[in-house]
Amino acid sequence: MAKTDTEASTFERHGLSDEQLRGIFRNMLLQRQLDNRGFQLNRQGKVPFALGSEGHEALQAGAAMAFQRGRDILAPYYRDLGLALGIGLTPYEILLSIFARAADHNGGRQFPNHYSSKAAGLMSFSSILAAHLPHAVGAAFALKYRGEAGRAVLATCGDGTTSEGEWHESMNFAAIHKLPFVMLVENNEWAISTPLSKQMAQPEIWKRAEGYGMPGRRFNGFDPIDTYAAVKEALDRARSGGGPSIVEGTCYRYLAHSTDDNDMTYRSREEVLEHRKLDPVPRFEHVLLENGVMTEADVAALRADVLRETNEATDAAEAMPYPEPGELYTHVYEGAWQPWQ
Amino acid sequence: MPQDLTAAGCEFPSSVSTHDDSPSIGATAAPFDPHGLSGEQLVAMFRTMVVQRTLENRGFQLNRQGKIPFASASEGHEAVQAGAAMAFQRGKDILVPYYRDLGLDLGIGLTPYEVLLSLFARDADHSSGRQFPHHYASRRLGLQTISSVIAAQLPHAVGAAYALKYRKETGRAVLVTFGDGATSEGEWHESLNFAAVHALPIVFLCENNEWAISTPLSKQTAQPDLHKRAAGYGMPGVVVDGMDPMACYAAVKAALERARSGGGPTLVEAKCYRFLSHTTDDDDRTYRSREEVERRRLDDPVPCFEARLIAAGVLSSEEAEALKRSVLEEANEATDRAEAMAYPSPQDLYGNVYADGWQPWR
Repeated sequence: MAKTDTEASTFERHGLSDEQLRGIFRNMLLQRQLDNRGFQLNRQGKVPFALGSEGHEALQAGAAMAFQRGRDILAPYYRDLGLALGIGLTPYEILLSIFARAADHNGGRQFPNHYSSKAAGLMSFSSILAAHLPHAVGAAFALKYRGEAGRAVLATCGDGTTSEGEWHESMNFAAIHKLPFVMLVENNEWAISTPLSKQMAQPEIWKRAEGYGMPGRRFNGFDPIDTYAAVKEALDRARSGGGPSIVEGTCYRYLAHSTDDNDMTYRSREEVLEHRKLDPVPRFEHVLLENGVMTEADVAALRADVLRETNEATDAAEAMPYPEPGELYTHVYEGAWQPWQ
Repeated sequence: MPQDLTAAGCEFPSSVSTHDDSPSIGATAAPFDPHGLSGEQLVAMFRTMVVQRTLENRGFQLNRQGKIPFASASEGHEAVQAGAAMAFQRGKDILVPYYRDLGLDLGIGLTPYEVLLSLFARDADHSSGRQFPHHYASRRLGLQTISSVIAAQLPHAVGAAYALKYRKETGRAVLVTFGDGATSEGEWHESLNFAAVHALPIVFLCENNEWAISTPLSKQTAQPDLHKRAAGYGMPGVVVDGMDPMACYAAVKAALERARSGGGPTLVEAKCYRFLSHTTDDDDRTYRSREEVERRRLDDPVPCFEARLIAAGVLSSEEAEALKRSVLEEANEATDRAEAMAYPSPQDLYGNVYADGWQPWR
């Protein structure tokens, strides 16, 4: 479905420096590494669950590059490991969450891969598809209500979420009130086991934008630079009072939905292998090498560094304690009230 | 007392505008096109419109007299509802309306007496007086019972359409209607998407009257042309002049034929206007100007269609007056008969609630 062009002659940077391009690539490698680490830990029996995000690396690294740290707000969904890293979460914070340790941002109480960070502007969310979108447009409404220019909310979701009633209500609300809001749809063609063809009759989700009276566009989610350009345009529009938009990035979900899913039951290996040919990680590596942004030695060193950081973070997080049972009702009720007292 | 239903200022159909400043959609320019309807059918449509206007007015009168608790308004919707009803196939199609569809319900065969039994909440009513006023039901007519919750009927309607497809029943379709306000609901979205994915035999008819109680269209959505949402679902979207019953007939007929023949769903948007308040419990003077309402009254579909029929020689003005008198007589007779009927007995409180006649206090 998504076509990519790896010819060096079409390399367009959209103003990104070499350092920024290397930063994007690092983010992609780190996402791939940590994603894989989650699966490994689950199969080792060390963590209960992990979600796969392979295939989303370019989309999330590119979008993160357009995000303004300390100013914008991110309302992601559970497959946004790369976006969370890209806006400033560390591998250690990610692993504290997966290991459900007390030192985690949510005290080990959140579902795995459901991060939050007040410092980074990352809104806490649930697993329920589209449940975060009314919250996200509410946050955008707050920005407008307070007259805060130069800030926007970036919300993400998959293709499955766009069928939800809350998606519709949120898009309509954002458009009526011309909110500083961007809806980034990460269309990976699968909602667990539901293929796009059974999810909707119009596979190009961005085409719904006109129905809400807002702009919409589609971009190649396997290309981090195309992604950056599209998301930046939408965020700039939102921050400057131009209102909301829908931007749809096409990509693919290479793995099963999560460690609890077996995609061999609902799609062919041939289909997955065919899409693997477009894998954004080796593709972008090739682009950077071909254009002299990195050398083979640089890439090798970077991969080693990413692995080292992942290993250190894993060991450090694993060594941390679980929350105490006595802390069960902390942050649940106001004050120190505990039901058994 | 005979009522004069002719609105001042309407001679030949004037242009219909959809917003204060938007250009008209050219009702005047359209020639008199009956779209294959005979003179008798045109008069029947006109009669349905007059019955709707009369009964609606009767509902308001009875409420102000303290005889019934509530009535909802539908003035301005006569053309779209009479036209859609003419396209509906009695005994085959299924209608899932909303609470403002008095004319559609009448048009598919509900009688004034049945309407008044419902308003008076009598035991002989189809729902034994238990339903909210204007929430009719008739198994005989294929009229599905509804609640007041906006857009709640949409998932039910697509479910009925799914049943038709599942049973492989061709030649049948579901017609579901709603206002502009319903298009903002999550259930609306989920229903259209579902219908499109499964290519269901259903027609979504939006009676866009520009007001959702006190919320104007401009605050309801940033896309006032609601039919433009159809493309996002992968189904055809059609806009029609909701003040022209013949055009509405043609649009709904085409959509129903598509649905019945396996061509899938359609979103039809009929642009009309709500002349009165939402219901007897609403006062529109608190949120819109009299000037706006008076200006839009120039396009009142009832006198406008009457004028067009007379001008086209389908009906003489004497016949039109006779028709209105006959409708009023029927309304009066139905009112008296329904009012004389008994309320449900308190002992029947749990009738049709639990299976096997079980009653909780036993």
